[in-house]
Amino acid sequence: MKKQLKSQYQAKPGIKSLKQSKWPVTLVWVAGLILIWELAAIEVAQTKRTPQNILPHLYQILAAAFSGKKVTNNLTATQVVLINAASTLLRAGEGFIMGVAFGYLLALLMSLSKIAEKIAFPYLMLIQMIPILGMAPIVLSITGDINRSRIVIAAILTFYPIAANCLAGFKAVEPQKHELMYSYGANKFQLYTKTMIPATWPYFFTGLKISAPLAITASILVDTLQGGGGLGSMLSQSLKHAMSIYVFWLIIFFIAFIGMFSFYLMGVLEAVLCPYRKWEKGGNEA
Amino acid sequence: MIYTVGRLKRTAGALASGTAADLNQNEPSSEPTPTEQTVQSGISLSGVSKSYPVNGEMIPVLKNINLDIQQGEFISLVGPSGCGKTTTLRIIADLISPSSGTVLIGGQTPRQARLQRRYGMVFQSAVLYDWRTVIKNVMLPLEIMKLPRQEQLQRAEAMLDMVGLKDYATHYPGQLSGGMQQRVGIARALALKPDILLMDEPFSALDEFTREKLHEDLLQIWQKTHKTIVFVTHNIAEAVYLSDRVCVMSPHPGRISNIIEIGLPRPRNPQAKTSATFSAYVNLVRSSFEGV
Repeated sequence: MKKQLKSQYQAKPGIKSLKQSKWPVTLVWVAGLILIWELAAIEVAQTKRTPQNILPHLYQILAAAFSGKKVTNNLTATQVVLINAASTLLRAGEGFIMGVAFGYLLALLMSLSKIAEKIAFPYLMLIQMIPILGMAPIVLSITGDINRSRIVIAAILTFYPIAANCLAGFKAVEPQKHELMYSYGANKFQLYTKTMIPATWPYFFTGLKISAPLAITASILVDTLQGGGGLGSMLSQSLKHAMSIYVFWLIIFFIAFIGMFSFYLMGVLEAVLCPYRKWEKGGNEA
Repeated sequence: MIYTVGRLKRTAGALASGTAADLNQNEPSSEPTPTEQTVQSGISLSGVSKSYPVNGEMIPVLKNINLDIQQGEFISLVGPSGCGKTTTLRIIADLISPSSGTVLIGGQTPRQARLQRRYGMVFQSAVLYDWRTVIKNVMLPLEIMKLPRQEQLQRAEAMLDMVGLKDYATHYPGQLSGGMQQRVGIARALALKPDILLMDEPFSALDEFTREKLHEDLLQIWQKTHKTIVFVTHNIAEAVYLSDRVCVMSPHPGRISNIIEIGLPRPRNPQAKTSATFSAYVNLVRSSFEGV
């Protein structure tokens, strides 16, 4: 992602830009993926009784996306996906924002106090080690509400990459920067606002890129636990043949796309908010 | 000889003949050492020692440093790694405190001098803030001082002008070469308008050509601003070329082996480096190290 942006800024006209461009690579990559998928689909179609349950052809999925056939409650497959995606993504987004805020504040606290770090960090690791599926019922029984627990789970999965990355960012500030601030007679507030916090931004965005797709995945996974809408419950209903199996395939593609898009979005956000990142250390000789 | 240096001075007459043998004669100076009263932004270290505990044992890294640096003087601390030259500089900068002995900067403690921003510090790497433009980097210490915005800008522009980087004000550090970055670092140190510039191997990471260019820039800045400069380096020729006096330090424990007054005429120019006198000074500095 970062490389892509970089090449965009350095792009020169002519054959050179084609060589430097990532597009041919992407094209080959996508073509290869389609080829492998289709070869596998042909194999499945010849050997299985219900190939669409295992691996349908891509054109079948595409056709399902644009077909007007109602799959449930007077909704087409695409309408089912989009309506449920709205509620899932909204919850993922809420959880993501909560997780980011909490993660960053925790990193800040751990950076400010060694004791806080020693106390909090093992818990951070512990939370990471509990599988979401194990954690979800616990969170559900605590919050008593499936919607709220979806948000909380998305937040829990989000906050760890943010907290861990930003803590690393706080620690990566060179000792000379601390000494410089000390020599200026800067107070702790100035040290943090002028040096420490801006220094964490690249780490913060790395954390965002990891946790944005995670928040979405988490939200979908928790959907499957209980009804009440959301991509996850549609996913399990479709798998149980309560509605067309193509809803499942559409959701899979949609999730993959949204996951990549969320990652890309964070990269764009970084490029806009941290323009200096174009010139990585040693990346330019003026 | 080791611990009584500071009084080892050489006359210009001995230098005229320019041989190492002449330079090697240790003539005790008849001049009295300057006292604190006469020193305004001079620096005086007396009996400064520093030791660190290693495995429960106190290992001395600096032993009985006595040094009087005069106002407006360009002095170099030169020596191999482990000789305590950087430690000495850091003690002056109040980044560490000595185990014993006293340091006075124009009659003040290093802490007082630091809080009054009487010195600017330049490190081996430029230590620039990637996320700030060049001018914002120079403005950083002024922001800490909470100067009015207009004055911050004016001062930063003036300093960038002095180091020849006025046209790069809105660039980011990542867009500059190593030499330019170090010049921003110097401009930032000067922005505080300090009496003293403390430089810790500022040019050692640069290539030879850039370094020579920066020598000229630094000498010009020094002549314009009359700062006291304490310059730490392991490059003997650099120390001789830039300095009024070269303080030769030896390791284990860190101590001053010799202080050599450099009688090369000012303003210095690069041609001086090829002269016999220059070589003689370089040789004298080299022969002053002990136990290396």
